[in-house]
Amino acid sequence: MKTNRREFIKSSALASASVLVPGFLKSAAKNFSPKGYNGKSLVIIQLSGGNDGLNCLVPFRNDFYYESRPDIGLGEEDLIGITDHAAFNKNLEVLAQLFDGGNLSVINNVGYPNPNRSHFRSMDIWHSASDADKYVQSGWLGRYLDSTCSPGCSKPHLALEIDETLSLALKGENLKGLAFRSPETLHLLSSNPLLMKEGENNVSQNSMHPQVDYLHKTLAETTQSAEYIYQHSKIYKSKSAYPNHDFGKRMKLIAELIISNSETSVYYVSLAGFDTHVFQKGTQNRLLKVYSDAIKSFCNDLKSNNRFNDTLIMTFSEFGRRVKQNSSRGTDHGTANNIYVIGGKLSKPGMYNDLPDLKKLDNGDLIYNIDFRNVYATVLQKWLEINPDFILKKKFDALSFI
Amino acid sequence: MVTGLPINYMKTTRKNIQHLFLRSGFGSLPANIEKNISRSIPEIAEEIFSASQNYSSLDFINNPIKGREKKGASAFQILKMIIKSRRETEDLNIIWLNKMAQDPAQLREKMTFFWHNHFSTNVPFSYLMQLQNNTLRKFALGKFGELLHAVAKDPAMIIYLNNQQNHKDAPNENFAREAMELFTLGEGHYSENDIKEAARAFTGWAVNRKGKFEFHEHDHDYGEKEFMGRKGNFKGEEILNFILENKQTAIFIATKIYREFVNHEIKRERIKSLADDFFSSSYDISMLMKKIFTSEWFYDEENIGCKICSPVELIVRYKKIIALEFENDQALIDLQKALGQVLFFPPNVAGWKGGNNWIDSSSLLLRLNIAQALLNEGRIIINPKPEFEDTPDEIDEENDEHILSSDWTIMNSYFTNNENDFDELLNYLVQSSVQKIDRDKIKSLVNEAGADNKIIKMASVIMSLPEFQLI
Repeated sequence: MKTNRREFIKSSALASASVLVPGFLKSAAKNFSPKGYNGKSLVIIQLSGGNDGLNCLVPFRNDFYYESRPDIGLGEEDLIGITDHAAFNKNLEVLAQLFDGGNLSVINNVGYPNPNRSHFRSMDIWHSASDADKYVQSGWLGRYLDSTCSPGCSKPHLALEIDETLSLALKGENLKGLAFRSPETLHLLSSNPLLMKEGENNVSQNSMHPQVDYLHKTLAETTQSAEYIYQHSKIYKSKSAYPNHDFGKRMKLIAELIISNSETSVYYVSLAGFDTHVFQKGTQNRLLKVYSDAIKSFCNDLKSNNRFNDTLIMTFSEFGRRVKQNSSRGTDHGTANNIYVIGGKLSKPGMYNDLPDLKKLDNGDLIYNIDFRNVYATVLQKWLEINPDFILKKKFDALSFI
Repeated sequence: MVTGLPINYMKTTRKNIQHLFLRSGFGSLPANIEKNISRSIPEIAEEIFSASQNYSSLDFINNPIKGREKKGASAFQILKMIIKSRRETEDLNIIWLNKMAQDPAQLREKMTFFWHNHFSTNVPFSYLMQLQNNTLRKFALGKFGELLHAVAKDPAMIIYLNNQQNHKDAPNENFAREAMELFTLGEGHYSENDIKEAARAFTGWAVNRKGKFEFHEHDHDYGEKEFMGRKGNFKGEEILNFILENKQTAIFIATKIYREFVNHEIKRERIKSLADDFFSSSYDISMLMKKIFTSEWFYDEENIGCKICSPVELIVRYKKIIALEFENDQALIDLQKALGQVLFFPPNVAGWKGGNNWIDSSSLLLRLNIAQALLNEGRIIINPKPEFEDTPDEIDEENDEHILSSDWTIMNSYFTNNENDFDELLNYLVQSSVQKIDRDKIKSLVNEAGADNKIIKMASVIMSLPEFQLI
C-alpha cells in the first residue's frame, strides 16, 4: 500500500511535468524583472518579543542606569565603548565594528503615540504602520508591493520573507510577498504532483466567482516564483563561513539571493525569544551573539561580492523594555527603543540622535521622539525610491540617516 | 417557479443541500445529503434550527477561584501563569474543533464561531476564554441585544478592552470605542464625543478576583452625559440600549452576517430588507438566519461555492469527511497558526479579516499540500512562527515534520469505484465551477496510480484543487 502511494506520486509527477501556465498570466510572466526593483535591497530584521535596547546600547556613564538595574546592568567588562557615553553590549561586537567603520546609524527613542504593551498589538502596529487606535489589516511592505505595479501584475518575489509563514508586514491590499524557509522545500511543495496546475483551457478570467480566479492566480504566481527563487538560489552558493544556527542559515540564504541578483527589493527575517521577563542577562546575551555573528558573516559576504553598498539592513523590535529591572532579574514590556540601520552608504552614520533621557520617563518608560513611520518613510523614499504617502496613509517626513 | 406554492420554490438539489449545510454548519456527509434529497429546503432548514435548540457548553477548565493577578506576583509567576493559560486555551481549542465537527447543534456552533470573531477577544485567562465562549454559545441564536449586553459584562472582554482601567477619575475609552466601531454601529456613525461620554457610562464595570463581573459603585461616574443627542445620568446599560435603538446597528450586523454567510459582495437592497426585519424583530438572530437560508437568492449560483473557507472551516471539514487527526494536538495548533487562524487567539479586536486575506503563497501551498500528505504516509511539514513569550530554548527549529492520519470508512462506504461515482465525488467535494475542472486529467492521474484505493486517490486529487478551498 505504501509502495503504491509512492509510485502514485512518482507517476503523477511525470504526468504533471508539462505544466502549463494559464494564459492570462503569460504576459505577466514575460515581464518577470520587476518594475519596483531599483538595484537596491532592504533587509529587515525583526527581533520578536521586545528586545531590551537599553542593554544593547548602554549609557555606561549614567548612574541612573545602574541604579535602575542593580542585577542586570552591564559593567565595563561586558561592554565595547563607541562614544564617551555609549557602549555596545560586547555580544553585539559587529555593531561596534560597523559603528567605527561608518556603516551603522543608531536611531534612538523610536516609538509611536499611545504605545501598546501587548506583543501582538504592538507588532501589529509596527507591521501595518497604523496609529495605535486604528486597525489596518495590511502591512506597509505589502502596500509597497501594491504601489510598485498596477493591478494584475505579479511579482511576489519582490518581497521575500525567510520563514514558513508570511507576516502581516508583507501582506498588501492587493499583492503579497512570498514566504519560504528553503528554496528547495518551496520548490518541492509547489511541484506537488497533485496540484493540477491547469492548462489554458480551464482557467478563465471570467469565472462566475472571482475567488476561483484569485486562488488559481495565487497558485500560478507561487509556482512561478518558487521556480524563479529555486533557480536563483542555485546560481551563487556562499563560500563565506556563517554561524551554524538557524538565523545564520537564513542570513546566508538572503546573501545568496542578493548576490545572485534575484532582483528582490525587500527581505524580511525574524529572530525570536527576546521576551526577557526572567533572568534576562544570559538569554539576551545569547540571542545578541546569534544576531551579531550572523550579521558579521552577512556583511562580509556582501562586501566581498561588492553588494554591501546596495544593501540596507534595518533591525527593530516591537517595543523596548522598562528602564527598571523587575523582581526576577528581567525586564517587563516597555515602549520606545532603538533601531539599527546598517549600510555602506549612510549619510549620517554614527549616533543619529541623543541617547534616551533616563531622568525623563513616562511612568517608568522611555519617551519616544522619533515615530517609527518616519524611519519607514525614509527607507521607502530614499532607498526604495517610492512615494511613501500612499503606503503610510499619512504624511511622514523622511529623516537624514540615508 | 410556480406562484402560490411558496414552500417549494427552491429546488432540492444535492448542490443546494450541501450549500445549506456548509454555510449553516460545517458541511454534511453524503448519506445525510441523500436522506434530505426528497425534502424541501424549508423543511431541511427547520430541522437544522431544531437541532440547535439543545446544546452543550464547553466545560473543560475549572474556575481557579484563587485570585488571579495577585498583587506582588513576580514576573516569573506571571509568565508561568500566562504560559499555563496558553496551554489550557490550546486544549480548549482542540476540544472546540472536535465539537464543531461532531456536535449535532451545527448551526449554533457556526454562529458561536461567527460571534467569536465578531466579539474578538484574547486574554491569558483560559477559564475566562471558556466562559466567554459559553456566553456566545448561549446567546448565539437569540436576541442580539441580549448578546451585546452579556458580552459587555463578560469578564474576558472587560479585561481585554481595558474596562478594568476605566475609572471615574480617569476614563479609558477602549471598550466604548470598539463597542461602537466594531461591535454595533461601524465607523462613521458616532462622534468622538459619543465615545468619551459612553466611556464615562461604563466606568465601574469591572471583574473581581474570582473572575466575575462586578459593578463598582464608588468608581462609577454618576454625572450627566450627552450621548447621541440625549442627555441624562446614563449608565452603561442605557448606552447599549441607545445603540440598539439606532437602526444602523441592525444594518451593520446584517451586512457582516451577509458577507460571512452569503457572499462577500453585498447587495444593498437585500441588506436593507434583512436589516429592516432584523430591527423590527428586536434583533432576532434566528429569524435573520432563517430568512437567509430560506431565501431563493441564497441558492443563486453566484452565492454557491464563492467563499474561501477559513482555516478552521477547512480543518473541521477534513475532520468531518475523513476524521483528520495528528499524532499530537500541538500539530493541530501549529497547523492553525501556519494557516493564519487559531481559535481563541484572534490577531486583534478587529478579528480575522477573512476572504482573500486567508490566502497567500505559503498558506495556499500548505492548504493544497494537506491532501498530498494523506497519500505520503501522512507526513507534512508545518512550521509556524514562535510565540512572543517563547524562550530561545522553546523555539524548536528542527521538529517541524508532523504525521497526520485519516479514516476513509465513510467515503469508502458511500462512493464506489465507477465512472458515475467520480462525478459524484467531485460534486460532493467541490461546490463551484466543476464544469471547468479537467476531469480527464484527474482521471488519468488516478488511473496511472493503479487500481487500489481509488477513492482515496481521487479524493486526494480533488482536495488538492484550489476549488476545494471554496465553500
